[in-house]
Amino acid sequence: MIQRLPQSALDPAGPAAERIAALWDFAFWTAAVVYVVVIAALLYAAFHRKRPAAVPVVDRDPRTERRLLVAVSGATAATVVILLVFFVVDLGVTGAVANPAAMHEHSTVSRARHEAPAGALRVKVTGYQWWWKIEYLDSVPSRRVTTANELVVPVGRPVAIDFESGDVIHSFWVPALHGKRDLVPGRTTRLTIEAARPGVYRGECAEFCGHQHAKMALHVVAQPADEFAVWYEAQLAPASVPADSLRRAGMHVFLGKPCAMCHNIAGLPASGQVAPDLTHLASRRTIAAGILPNTKGHLAGWILDPQRIKPGAKMPPNGLSPDELEAILAFLGGLR
Amino acid sequence: MTSLAHPPDAPPPARLTIDVSELPTTTFGRRNLNWWGTVGFMAIEGTTMIVAAAALLYIRGNFDSWPPRPILPPHLGVPSLVLLLLLVKLVPAWYAIDSAQRLDRAASRRWMALALLLGTAATAFRLLEFDSLNVRWDTNAYGSIVWTILGLHTFLLVFDVLETAAILLLLGDEERLRTKHYADVEDASVYEFFLSLSWVPLFLLVYLLPRIG
Amino acid sequence: MAPAPGDPHEDERLDEMHERLARVHADAPGLWGWLTTTDHKRIAKRYVVTAMAFFVLAGIDALIMRLQLARPEGGLVGPDAYNQLFTVHGSTMMFLFAVPIMEALGLYFVPLMVGTRNVAFPRLNAFGYWTYLIGGVLLWGAFFLDVGPDAGWFAYVPLSGPAFSPGKRMDVWSQMITFTEIAALVSAVEIIATVMHQKAPGMSIARLPIFVWAMLVTSFMVLFAMSTVATASIFLAMDRLIGTHFFNVAEGGDPILWQHLFWFFGHPEVYIIFLPATGIVSSVLPAFTRRPVFGYPAIVVSTIATGVIGYTVWVHHMFNIGLPVLAGSFFTAASLLVAVPTAVQIFCWIATIWTGRPRLTTTMLFVGGFFVTFIIGGLTGVQIASMAFDAQVHDTFFIVAHFHYVLIGGAVFPLFAGFYYWFPKWTGRHLGEGLGTLHFWLFFIGMQVTFFPMHQLGLDGMPRRVYTYVDGLGWNGLNLLATVGAFTFAAAVLVFLANVAWSLRHGARADADPWVADTLEWATSSPPPAYNFAHIPVVRGRSALWDRTPNDPIVVGLSTKRREVLLTTLLDAEPDSRHEHPWPSIHPLLAALAVGVLFVGAIFHPAAVLVGGALFCAAAFGWGWPRKKSEIHAIEHALEHGHAHHPPAAPSRRTA
Ligand code: HEA
Ligand code: HEA
Ligand code: HEC
Ligand code: CUA
Ligand SMILES: [Cu+2]
Repeated sequence: MIQRLPQSALDPAGPAAERIAALWDFAFWTAAVVYVVVIAALLYAAFHRKRPAAVPVVDRDPRTERRLLVAVSGATAATVVILLVFFVVDLGVTGAVANPAAMHEHSTVSRARHEAPAGALRVKVTGYQWWWKIEYLDSVPSRRVTTANELVVPVGRPVAIDFESGDVIHSFWVPALHGKRDLVPGRTTRLTIEAARPGVYRGECAEFCGHQHAKMALHVVAQPADEFAVWYEAQLAPASVPADSLRRAGMHVFLGKPCAMCHNIAGLPASGQVAPDLTHLASRRTIAAGILPNTKGHLAGWILDPQRIKPGAKMPPNGLSPDELEAILAFLGGLR
Repeated sequence: MTSLAHPPDAPPPARLTIDVSELPTTTFGRRNLNWWGTVGFMAIEGTTMIVAAAALLYIRGNFDSWPPRPILPPHLGVPSLVLLLLLVKLVPAWYAIDSAQRLDRAASRRWMALALLLGTAATAFRLLEFDSLNVRWDTNAYGSIVWTILGLHTFLLVFDVLETAAILLLLGDEERLRTKHYADVEDASVYEFFLSLSWVPLFLLVYLLPRIG
Repeated sequence: MAPAPGDPHEDERLDEMHERLARVHADAPGLWGWLTTTDHKRIAKRYVVTAMAFFVLAGIDALIMRLQLARPEGGLVGPDAYNQLFTVHGSTMMFLFAVPIMEALGLYFVPLMVGTRNVAFPRLNAFGYWTYLIGGVLLWGAFFLDVGPDAGWFAYVPLSGPAFSPGKRMDVWSQMITFTEIAALVSAVEIIATVMHQKAPGMSIARLPIFVWAMLVTSFMVLFAMSTVATASIFLAMDRLIGTHFFNVAEGGDPILWQHLFWFFGHPEVYIIFLPATGIVSSVLPAFTRRPVFGYPAIVVSTIATGVIGYTVWVHHMFNIGLPVLAGSFFTAASLLVAVPTAVQIFCWIATIWTGRPRLTTTMLFVGGFFVTFIIGGLTGVQIASMAFDAQVHDTFFIVAHFHYVLIGGAVFPLFAGFYYWFPKWTGRHLGEGLGTLHFWLFFIGMQVTFFPMHQLGLDGMPRRVYTYVDGLGWNGLNLLATVGAFTFAAAVLVFLANVAWSLRHGARADADPWVADTLEWATSSPPPAYNFAHIPVVRGRSALWDRTPNDPIVVGLSTKRREVLLTTLLDAEPDSRHEHPWPSIHPLLAALAVGVLFVGAIFHPAAVLVGGALFCAAAFGWGWPRKKSEIHAIEHALEHGHAHHPPAAPSRRTA
């Protein structure tokens, strides 16, 4: 358990995940003790007397039976007490992690409704088969940022997420930060996460959502507040027609092929809404919903035949000549 | 009942025996095994109805108005007639039970025939009743659930009519009719009580709820 | 029963009695008899064999899944196949294996344990088996044709709905559900009626064997749970086939409605599997500890309490849909509460072993395996009842670990215990103890090696239902270990099958009561005759066989010309009336086929509902329409004089 794993709930990096990991420690040790005691009793019961009897003993000694009754009642009472303690401890943690305001004070007060804490960054995440659309909400429409599969957040600041689904049920889960929350068509669900230290935290869709449920990952990138601010401003900028000729050629390939029907690139005549926004593709670490590193080679493989990498994915294979490919890769590589 | 006598079918002698040969072979109500079967099926069908009713209430929460605009609330004419027929049917059902318990063949036939008549009429009007809903099953979830509830009950109604007809046929066939079949008359009639009475709350849900919003 | 002393003609009379009853209860020979039988033992054995076949098939699915997951980016199967594999594995294990096999044990042993000749409504029983078989064949036929369902065993909408699962796959799933639920429902009605009214005189409600109690409570749970899921699956089928909108958000439907309906069934379902297994444990313990189970009232009350509380916890499967904390806490509390009756049972069993004289047969090894394994699953169950903790491990391999620990630990281990215990009753031969011990240890080790690592995998972030995973997440080693465990399992199951094959021919012969056990199934020969008991026994205590005395009365006076059973009163089991069970009949099979036409046909065209319905009515008419009195007299006469061996099962031309 000491080993650091990228997607482990036991390696928490946020207050909610920390509380839950502590709850697990408690639950694990309680269960372990209960288990050892019960199994020890069982083994003693089975082996403490060695003479099997042939005839059944129907008329029991009432004194033994009474002692048994006391023992069973005692054990039951102990069970009830343990369950009660567990319930109270759980209520504390459940209330706290559901209510980010309380989490900071380590208070056990729980409010029934989820309210975004003051000063929280507000984000909307929409699940699609099999990728995540991420929108940073801002009261000023021009200051909204849309991206995909990579949620960049400032360290130490609560991020209040609204979840929606564009098709089937998905579930947002980044174990290092918090438990999961389902994305249910027709409703908006909420969760507030927070990263306590900088880092990249991997998550995966947890609710089975069809063919590529297994390859619907995402990353939360936690950055110090100032870095985050820089990133955010960069994301606000639309793309423009590239100056470089190869890239410009690539842009024309992109706009000439069906790509633009599905994908959006702000600033260019590509405004498809059924696929990840590519305006700042090159700034992302991964492609194809957190599955492949965002390198030229992987990008090429993906564009030519997404079906080989994610069979069933909602992006068709594209017949591109080597020149076209080269150009389009250069163009996409420039989308910083 | 424990005796040392030798019953006719040659039991081991000198042995305490419980002779059950004098026990009745036809019983009614709780004493009748088949009655429990009927109760079991009523429990199953009743659960199905409760689940459908719960689904209706749940779905209702998704709409601002009930029925959803611009759908009109259902008409009450035919549905009320069907409800009335179903309730009136309880009279022959009641007397059918009574005459069956008296093993009175003529009376059983009479009452079962009347029940059949009323049941058939109710079923016939029931087929018209779907029109009164003012909505199709594939219009929206409201239409789906009210059609399903009505359809479910209709399905049971049709089977009940067929069963009543079969029993009536048996009551007319002296070559086959045996005493124990009177218990089936009772059973079928008890089931009719279930079928008619269960419709009352469902009727309220389907027809009156839309009128109060 | 113990023979009465001193009468030289006793044996002769008994033989005569046996012969008459045998004639009356005989099935027609050959295939016709096989198709028409209404003998609860034949039908229950059929259920057991069929369910075990499905277990092996679903187990092979699991092996393929484990091979695929043995290493990252495994290439054995693609996502499409994998999704079918786990859906069919889960659905088969739950609907075609675990529930039916427990029902089957009930159908076999409840009539024997309460001392009657057959289960109530024998034709319904035959009908139930055939619908079950049709449902199973439908699912597996579709799977082999590569149109197996692929939306998971709980088929969440909208994924399973018309928009996201076009084609027939999910139709197959929803109809399979309906078939198996019909089978479960009719079995439940039969068992309830049998326990209500066919108990042997003296077997008052306070003397019912605990296994019978467990089956009774289970059957009541089935009535409500299975009706719910059958309704839900019909909603789903209608959404898919005729365009209703129950689960379509755009038209006011709601995907969460499906989750509520499914889990309102789904949680009780797990106790429907578990409670009969507790009944098995309570049945075998007395035989192998030489004492009655300690705390009969506590165990009975716990069983009932589990059944009741089990209906109040379903939302713990939906903790992450965004519930208010308060609502969630209610279901946490209920889930913790349901652990208490289970704990009580466990403590009573340990107390029984403590003060008994345990014999370590293979049966008892499996009971031991049950404790060691199930309790782990129960404790993780308590942990995941916490909303906060569940938010992390829900839909991960931690849950996969939890439910295999409770399902295999809580149901399959007791089931195997039951097999080793009851095999002599079924076949007249013992299962081999040597192979049995090997079977146990392989199974036990396989269990822990396969599923224990999955807890860690879940905590390390591995979601369930993934057809593959990328390298570098730290999951490789534990997955490989789990795969190795799965093959150990397979070896164990093979050893078991070999043991059965060998023992059927060469196993040590068993007499009526080889374990000197306490319930009535051991009062008749192994295997029991078609009519179970020549004379219905009279019961004097909770341990029917241990409490009897040589002078206990027996019941006489039941007809030896028809299939008559004794009905007794509900609470006190006083003799009350005689009831005639029907002769064998082909109509249950025909009715099941009609239901098959109805539901399978509906996948292709709604009109099939009418055709199937009409066929069903025809079959039901033949089923219920009585023979002429003159004909009955002729049959009875023939039977009495030993001419006709099996006219009753012959096709009845008049009713066609
Ligand atoms: C035989 C089947 C069976 C049984 C008996 C149980 C028993 C229990 N289960 Fe389990 N469960 C399943 C089968 C079963 N479950 C399945 C199939 C699923 C997943 C379905 C799916 O998603 O596919 C599931 C999922 C599941 C969930 C949802 C998890 C999720 O999806 O996120 C939860 C949550 O609360 C839960 C809880 C419990 C609890 C509290 C018990 C309790 O009844 C356990 C009680 C037993 C004990 C506690 C052990 C014995 C007691 C003692 C030794 C005394 C001492 C104990 C203490 C002091 C605590 N189960
Ligand atoms: C009673 C129920 C039950 C039982 C007994 C089992 C038994 C097993 N299960 Fe399963 N399982 C479920 C119920 C059950 N399961 C459910 C409900 C799900 C959820 C599905 C879903 O998500 O929708 C699930 C899911 C599930 C998964 C998760 C899949 C995923 O989420 O991606 C896995 C993965 O390892 C698994 C493995 C196993 C294994 C290895 C066994 C082993 O115990 C199997 C042992 C048996 C065998 C291995 C058969 C061996 C026989 C032979 C080899 C004979 C050879 C043949 C001849 C000679 C003819 N199961
Ligand atoms: C029919 C719609 C469609 C078309 C046409 C299409 N795409 Fe896509 N694209 C998608 C979808 C949907 C995804 C998300 C797939 C997933 O991850 O499951 C995607 C993903 C991508 C990604 C990865 C984005 C990320 O952040 O993960 C890139 C890059 C991409 N597409 C480029 C292209 C290019 C270049 C073209 C044209 C040559 C193209 N797409 C044509 C639908 C489309
Ligand atoms: Cu999205 Cu699983
Ligand atoms: Cu549950």
